[in-house]
Amino acid sequence: MYAGHFAAGLAIKARVPKAPTWGLLLGVGFLDILFGPFVLLGIERARVTPGISPGFSLDTIDWSHSLLMSLVWAGLYAAAFWSKGRAVAAAMGLAVFSHFLLDLPMHPPDLALWPGSSVHLGFGLWRSLPTGWWFVELGVIMLGVGYYWARSRRPGAEFGGRPALVALVVLLLHVANSPWLSPK
Amino acid sequence: MSTAGLAIYVVLGFLVPVPLLAWLDRPRRPKQPTPQPGPQPGPPK
Repeated sequence: MYAGHFAAGLAIKARVPKAPTWGLLLGVGFLDILFGPFVLLGIERARVTPGISPGFSLDTIDWSHSLLMSLVWAGLYAAAFWSKGRAVAAAMGLAVFSHFLLDLPMHPPDLALWPGSSVHLGFGLWRSLPTGWWFVELGVIMLGVGYYWARSRRPGAEFGGRPALVALVVLLLHVANSPWLSPK
Repeated sequence: MSTAGLAIYVVLGFLVPVPLLAWLDRPRRPKQPTPQPGPQPGPPK
């Protein structure tokens, strides 16, 4: 998933307004932010697969995306925000772990239980619905951004000054990541 | 796209939108009342 992760971050923000927005949005992408350097360093492996949805194969992503490491990274990220209070730290941890949860339906079984585990999870919508997955993720985006928008309208809300623009940006990111437009 | 390009693309895909979305999320400041020109009325005598 991609833009759907941002929607999850915004939904968490709507629930825990005291959590810094930048921290939540960074958190929901944290596992992928780790993935990049891990691949460049040779710790993890991926291949570009033109013509085969979603256009790449994540051969070994255990250190960034396994269930165990997702929980470890979530705990470490939450700890970095401990000084902001338990609710904020918990929100940050949830933001990181939500990435694993939202990747589950999309990824083929490439999400290991732990590094080196032979058991891999993933419901594979990227493969089974080569264009339909985009609409599934759109539904996630509408739920997350919709909740964020609604909560931002409450009197006294200290976030969400421009929910329409936020929604537009997230939707544009989703369109840019569509099967019809994303780079091959 | 190369594998390195994919790795960089994924990272930038998350890093680049964060500042924009965070900025758009800021609460709107309540509008200040426009000051009226001319002398202000004094207290009632």
